[in-house]
Amino acid sequence: MKEKKDIRILAFESSCDETSTAVVKNGSEIESLVVATQIKSHARFGGVVPEVASRHHIEVITQITREALEEAKVSWEDLDAIAVTHGPGLVGALLIGINAAKAASMATGLPLIGVDHIMGHISAAQLVEPVEYPALALQVSGGHTEIVLLKDPTHFEIVGDTRDDAAGEAYDKIGRVLGVNYPAGKTIDQWAHQGKDTFGFPRAMIDEDNYDFSFSGLKSAFINTCHHADQLGQELDKYDLAASFQAAVVDVLAEKTMRAIRQYQPKTFIMGGGVAANLGLRERMNKEIAALEKAPKVILPPLKLCGDNAAMIAAAAYNQYLAGNFADLTLDADPSMELPYAEDYK
Amino acid sequence: MKILSISTATSDLSVALNEADHLVSEKIEENQRNHSVDLDPDIASLLAENGLSLKDIDRFAVAIGPGSYTGLRVGLTTAKMFASILNKELVGVSTLQALAQNFAGEDALIVAALDARNKNFFAGAYRGKEAVIADGHYHLSELLEQVGALPDQKVIFAGSDFSKYQEEIAAGLADKDLRLAEGEENLLHAGAIGRLAVSAPVLDPDQAVPNYLRRTQAEYDWAKKTGQEFAADSAYVEEV
Ligand SMILES: Nc1ncnc2c1ncn2[C@@H]1O[C@H](COP(=O)(O)OP(=O)(O)O)[C@@H](O)[C@H]1O
Ligand SMILES: [Mg+2]
Repeated sequence: MKEKKDIRILAFESSCDETSTAVVKNGSEIESLVVATQIKSHARFGGVVPEVASRHHIEVITQITREALEEAKVSWEDLDAIAVTHGPGLVGALLIGINAAKAASMATGLPLIGVDHIMGHISAAQLVEPVEYPALALQVSGGHTEIVLLKDPTHFEIVGDTRDDAAGEAYDKIGRVLGVNYPAGKTIDQWAHQGKDTFGFPRAMIDEDNYDFSFSGLKSAFINTCHHADQLGQELDKYDLAASFQAAVVDVLAEKTMRAIRQYQPKTFIMGGGVAANLGLRERMNKEIAALEKAPKVILPPLKLCGDNAAMIAAAAYNQYLAGNFADLTLDADPSMELPYAEDYK
Repeated sequence: MKILSISTATSDLSVALNEADHLVSEKIEENQRNHSVDLDPDIASLLAENGLSLKDIDRFAVAIGPGSYTGLRVGLTTAKMFASILNKELVGVSTLQALAQNFAGEDALIVAALDARNKNFFAGAYRGKEAVIADGHYHLSELLEQVGALPDQKVIFAGSDFSKYQEEIAAGLADKDLRLAEGEENLLHAGAIGRLAVSAPVLDPDQAVPNYLRRTQAEYDWAKKTGQEFAADSAYVEEV
């Protein structure tokens, strides 16, 4: 039998404040991963400034391209394709990766693949273990809170979405009220483990017959509680506040995700995004899934692969490569790109 | 020496092929909005029409600034990657110096200026190839003052639509023989970049960044608020 040839993809990611390159073999084996982060720069401004982000991306792009090849010990001739995130994200930032990838494709003759950033995040799972389809993913980050159905490696559909704030955004906003620096999720998570759910904050939309979320009501209830206590000169226990907030978030995320798992019967369940690092959420999902009669395989990518990185983009690009989906030199940034909604999305 | 030159610094998109300082072929599209979509296809067809491939190019030249921040990055990212991957030379040419070459041969001071809003301009003044007012960010009044102090009699303003400031410019330079460039005279030609590229210094692709001539507003605000100095760009980005 003829042995199947290895497929090696070099990917670029520059959608926000990380410039990253990676070489991944067969969509699963990381041969190199370079991540240049701008956190220090944006910390000066208390948030990502798009023009500053774009300026940093162009500073490092050629260097980290070379480093990805060197670290993987490959040359351009060893590669089979070049991939790049083309949305969603900051337009000026995306354009650095896109123009770099297109130039590399022209200079080497390698085919070009455009990747959806969210499909990339979810595809980080296949860097850990093979994904069996259909799969279901809970993607929870600072910008997204979505339940996504993976029908096959290249057809991802949204079955549930947030109607307002993303879960991570809610953590960061209530964190500010408690005087915790951005990003606040990790600290709130730690405090939550030292307190109790004594405030009984609302679990928005938990009983509705859909897979959508809403976190802005919870955020307001939290802030009102704190302000009210302030006015009365009362001191509230920050650990109980954190525990009560986290219990409300985890309850709705877990409840709705478990319902989606029961409906779609996925073979694999994937959890990704910064909030997937949340211990409360991990414990709860693991427990509930273990109690299922037909439990899907669970993949929780490690933290390094949950943040923005080019390895996940290369993984997603491999699936597109096998499906024959290539881009041409007119590939453009699509800052508000969205996955399609499932037909039965309510 | 074959030079491929690129300009995405203004609303014009231009690419050209030069053999030393002789122009072989040039494409120029006026008032293009999406340089990122059109640049690579334009380069590909320019090369194909001349029976060349990227590997045949010895030097990649780009309008390195000033200009539209996003536009500059589209052109420079592309040129940097070509040079870095193919191991060829990269050079950057002043956008304003290139614009001034539209009047090569005229015995006049060329004030090349790009509108930076609120009566500010990214501007420089040239006699032929020589810069007499350095590229910078100037308020119109400041620019007129500096031009007025120069001995040149004949002055041509190029690169922007100056019609709304016509009176102010005329009043500020009352004793000069003044002309405001019009129409095609304001086009930015990659061919001019190619000619200037012959004698431009070679850049390290890893170090090359656009010559924006301005920091971002967020940085100025931060410096004002904190009283801190700006660190080198590289101090703010870390590989993890
Ligand atoms: N342990 C945690 N619990 C809850 N939220 C967390 C935790 N760790 C990180 N986060 C949140 O994750 C978000 C960052 O995740 P990331 O995937 O980088 O998001 P994005 O790229 O969309 O901003 C932040 O909002 C942060 O507060
Ligand atoms: Mg992300």
